[in-house]
This record gives sequence, C-alpha cells and structure tokens, in this order.
Amino acid sequence: MMAAFDILAFGACSFVAVAGALGMATTMSMFRSGIFLMASFIGVAGLFILLSADLIGLLQVMMYIGGFLVMILFMVLVMHDPGGAMMAGMELSPLERWFSKGLVPRDEATSAGQDDPASGEGRSHAGNRHEGHAMPHGEGRHGHARDHGGGAMPHGAHGGHAEHRHADHQHGDGGHGGMDMSMVTPVRPLAAWLAAAAGVVLVGMLFLRPAWPVTDAVPDPDSARRVGNLLMDKYMVAFEGAGFLILIGIFGAVLLARPSTHPDDPSRAAKAAVDAKPEAIRDDRLAPLAEAGGAPEPEHHGSHHGHEDHVG
Amino acid sequence: MTVPLTAYLVVAALLFAIGVYTVVAQRSAVMVLMGVEVLLNAIGLNVVAFWRFTAPTDYSAQVLAILVVTVGAIEMAIGLALVLLLYRQRRTVEVDAYTDLNG
Repeated sequence: MMAAFDILAFGACSFVAVAGALGMATTMSMFRSGIFLMASFIGVAGLFILLSADLIGLLQVMMYIGGFLVMILFMVLVMHDPGGAMMAGMELSPLERWFSKGLVPRDEATSAGQDDPASGEGRSHAGNRHEGHAMPHGEGRHGHARDHGGGAMPHGAHGGHAEHRHADHQHGDGGHGGMDMSMVTPVRPLAAWLAAAAGVVLVGMLFLRPAWPVTDAVPDPDSARRVGNLLMDKYMVAFEGAGFLILIGIFGAVLLARPSTHPDDPSRAAKAAVDAKPEAIRDDRLAPLAEAGGAPEPEHHGSHHGHEDHVG
Repeated sequence: MTVPLTAYLVVAALLFAIGVYTVVAQRSAVMVLMGVEVLLNAIGLNVVAFWRFTAPTDYSAQVLAILVVTVGAIEMAIGLALVLLLYRQRRTVEVDAYTDLNG
C-alpha cells in the first residue's frame, strides 16, 4: 500500500516537474511560461518532500515561487508582448499540439526506469526507447522552426510598410520592426539537438553506471534541526559568506537598476516630460464619426429598459 | 524506498536537458533566466536524491542545496537588474540585440 502510494506520488510529482518545464520551454506566451515554471517548481518541491528533505521542499516553495517567480512575472509585465498575442495570428497551434504530444515518450522512459529497478536489461531497453523517441523530437522542432520562419515572413513584410508602422506605434517602439516575433532564436533546432543529446548522454550514463552504494538508513524526521545545527556549527563560514553574498548582490542589483545620474543618460531623458504635440493618427481603422453620433440613443433606450426590469 | 535512485536521477536529467534547451533557444533574456532556474532545480534534485540514498545521516547535502538556492537568488536578482538596465537603454530584452557587448 505504502509502496504504491510512493510510486504514485513520485509519478505525479515528476510528471508535473517535467511537463511544467517542457511547457515553459515551448509555450509562446511569456506569462504562461512563468506559470508553467511555477508548476515545475511545485513538482520538484514535491520530489524533495518525497525524498524526506522537508526543509528543502518548503524552501523551494518559499524561495522559488514566493521570490523568484514574482520577480520574473514582474519583469515579464515590463516586456514587449508578454501574453504572446502577436503569436496568436501565426499558424502555431497545431505544432504546439505536436509539442504536447511530445511529452509522452519522455514520461514513458521515466516510468520504465522506475518500474524495473533491478534488471539492467530493462534499463538499457528504456534507454534505447528514450533515444529512439528523442530523435523525432529534434526533427519535429526542425520542422517547427522552418514553418515558423514561413509564418513570420508576412508579418515582417507588414511591419516594413512605413505607414502601418506609424499608425501602429507600439510595434515600432519595441524595436521589432521587420523581425519575426517568436520567442526563440534561429538556432532552435540546434538547441533541440543539443538538449536531446544532453538528455540522452545523461540518461545513458545513468544506465551504464553500476549501482550506487545505496544505504537503507533512514534520515532523522526532524532534519530541519540537524541542518540548522550544521549551518550554525560546521558550515558557519559558508552561512556567513552566503549572507554577505546576498548583501553585496542586493547592493549591486539596486545600483544597476537605479536610473543613471548622468545628464546625458537616455534613462533620464525618458523620464522628462516632453511638451510636444503627439503625432496625429492617420488611420485608426475605426468607423467614421458620423455613425458614432447616433449611438448614444439606443444605449439610453437600453438602459431605460434595464431600469424598468430592475423595478419590476 | 520503493522508488529507486535512478528514477530521481532520470527526472533530474530530463529537467537539465529542458533547461539547456531553454537557455540556448529562447530569445528573451528573461526566458533565459527561467531556463537557468530549471537547471538549478535539476542540480538541487540531484544533490538531495544522492543525499537521501547514499548518506542520509550526513546533512551536509541539505546545506549545499540551501546554498545553491541562495546563489540562485543572487543570480536572479543581478540578472533581472541587468536585464532591466539593458531594456531601459535599448528598449529590447532580446539577447541577440546585445551582441555588441561581446568584447
């Protein structure tokens, strides 16, 4: 019973961790990437707790989710196109679905490694399976990147149109003029191959390695107390060094993020109020004003009706 | 321990591979930082798994994991401050736009 629960919890946590990371890497919206990253962190925290490192698990949730993720999402909100709305028009959804299908082989490899721990043959089999599935992965990303370039092409031509750029000022501001808007670089297929190679090499090394000297000893359930004693006793210098590092790091971050005091600095110029008329909008793609004049009357009518209903 | 050490290491290896992919393939600097976070997670998972299975009575591994998280926090703060600064100067966070920083 306990064993089944262990396996089930491990499977759920590792699935959340890996699927969250995969979603983070492949989704087109930066904000969603942040949320996927949170799922991945939660999965890893669950794995920590399963490994009876409760303190590290709680620290993971507090530090990564409470601290880093808030920082990341704050940064994302400053970004250009955080929600990936510009990507919505490009034909990506089938390929994204392809990516979510790509989740299956990896998890198979994981569960295979978990099901037969003892037999080396089963392990190498799982390794082969993983490798076999990893290859189409890379190719699929290849196709994705190529398609993606094709999808981005019309948009680039669009942005090159001078008038359009004037009307759509937001686009020009981001410095994205004629470039494609994807979140990934052109080296994406190469990166996919590299990542697949890294994963295959790491997993292959795991399966080639003879058994680790695993002990059956059970850690103290009150491990937080032991860790605290170690931190204050044996690793005092590391603890103080980490504290000093945090202090210096925060100083550095504040110094970097502060607006420069140099008068020629563009960050100062951007803050000054500019007393100039904004550029006239030539084509706002709205209906002419003549029609807008007739609009208030039906609205009034409607509100009257609503009022009557409310009274009745 | 019904779940073997190798299973945890496989999960960590997958996380590491995804992190490598994210760091190399993403165009935005913030996404690259997210990839680094996934890499640090994979490292922490490896450390804690090895602690649990090979030396559960020595808690030094947890201290190491805590230090990894701390260094990750510093890296994140500095990295985001750098990104904010570069964004303010160049109005873009794409790492490809920073190639002229290559000295």
